[in-house]
Amino acid sequence: MTIFVIQILNSFFYAAVLFLIAAGLSLIYGVMRIVNLAHGALYALGAYVSAWIVGSAVGHALEGTLGLAGMLLLLPLGAIAIAAVGALIEPTLLRPLYQRSEEYHLLVTFGLLLILEDVMKLVFGRTPLSAGTIMDRMGSIPVGRLMYPTYNLFVVAVGIAAAIGLWAFIYRTKFGVILRATSQDRRMAAALGINVSRVYVQAFAIGCFMAGLGGAVVVPAQAAVLGLGIEVLILAFVVVVIGGLGSLQGALVGAVIVSFVRTAGIQFFPEIELAVLYLIAAAVLLVRPTGLFGRA
Amino acid sequence: MIVLEVKAIHTYRGPAHILNGVSLRVDRQEVVCLVGRNGAGKTTTIESIMGFLALQAGQIVFADEDLTRLAPHERAKRGIGYSPEDCGVFPELSVDDNLMISRWLGDEVSRRRDGAVRPDPQTQAFAVFPEVRDLLQRQGMQLSGGQRKMVAIARAMMLSPSLLLLDEAFEGLAPVVVNRFTEAVMKIKAMGVSILMAESHLAAASRIADRLYVIDRGEIIFRGSPSDARGDERVMKALRG
Repeated sequence: MTIFVIQILNSFFYAAVLFLIAAGLSLIYGVMRIVNLAHGALYALGAYVSAWIVGSAVGHALEGTLGLAGMLLLLPLGAIAIAAVGALIEPTLLRPLYQRSEEYHLLVTFGLLLILEDVMKLVFGRTPLSAGTIMDRMGSIPVGRLMYPTYNLFVVAVGIAAAIGLWAFIYRTKFGVILRATSQDRRMAAALGINVSRVYVQAFAIGCFMAGLGGAVVVPAQAAVLGLGIEVLILAFVVVVIGGLGSLQGALVGAVIVSFVRTAGIQFFPEIELAVLYLIAAAVLLVRPTGLFGRA
Repeated sequence: MIVLEVKAIHTYRGPAHILNGVSLRVDRQEVVCLVGRNGAGKTTTIESIMGFLALQAGQIVFADEDLTRLAPHERAKRGIGYSPEDCGVFPELSVDDNLMISRWLGDEVSRRRDGAVRPDPQTQAFAVFPEVRDLLQRQGMQLSGGQRKMVAIARAMMLSPSLLLLDEAFEGLAPVVVNRFTEAVMKIKAMGVSILMAESHLAAASRIADRLYVIDRGEIIFRGSPSDARGDERVMKALRG
């Protein structure tokens, strides 16, 4: 029974991380119609940068001064850095391609994925980076006869807060209305005085922030290693295929489905864990080609 | 007083040379119709004025300012309202949100122009189409064709425009509804707004236009009063095909 509860908690932990990544991917596609293959690499970069910032703080013996809360507040700096990288990428690499067909978007973002992977190798080297100090300092809480890391529950809370925050941002703010208008008809949005180029930079930066935040929250629990982004990118795509690319609810439901199936897979059928996920994605595509919450 | 002046513009769509030296003028509080058959270059002219298509040659001057190199959103900020042929109502936004997007900018347009106190754009938009008031909570996709056109024009009015570009505002409307729209255009004119309207039917254009231009194969072949247009054999031939 305890194992069962822990597996459920693990599923929610992983769902929170996957949601952050998939929501960013979905937001970028929803507004700009760009399938960002570099999204996983941006997530990995977020993990590296956050681990590096936390590691530097610990290295400079700031751990005591900052306290646990201070250390936790360092994590989003990694996400902000990734948002800044996004704000550079969009105008330089993506903007010239909007009038072109999707193959060009895929080629450029795939190229960017390879470049970012190499940049990470060059800058951070092959040694895994972790911000495990945070996880250690948060301790554990008893679940039945076992102990469960409190940090994992914190990540679930971040995921829930991000989902509510993003929903409120998109559906309850002036910028959200502008974002949705631009995603539905960019020409008309421009004719009503909206600076579409600026909205695109902002949307891309927010999407990248979400990916970076995913990396930032995962790195105290799981070290940043080379290739981290590739595995996650595949899972994030399974999430958006199931949920529907461009839909926030889809990212949320898809993330929960994928992480529960994955956790069950690792426990009960480890050999075919990924195959089962692809099977579910394929089944959804057959029944609802636009995903559970996607629009035609 | 000239509000808009289009000076000998040449516009391409891809490799196709669509507009061949089109010139026209809209004065203050004037309704001007651009009449032509489908494919004559009406929409291309409107889209060139709005800035969606780059000019190969020529100039667009609005309120004494050269707009030729400005992006569409900059043109909107200067007070050009636009209602496209397909209405451009955002399908997944409520009518209220559709209107609010213009309203946010409308306040800026008013301030930028002269800082003078102007009638509330929302009051003006609802004065033109009171029907829109009952549609505020509906999603764009739930509107009928006529309702979409009303919302598109009301939304353009929310911008506090000094010029309104209407592309085929009467197309697809039942005759009874056309009268309602004619009345609305007259109200907008009475509010001091100039209007440039693309229209396929000379009869409909004649009812509301102070002046009209006839366009055929990307060239203006007539400029003058509606009654003169009806008496011009070349115009009638071009419009009948």
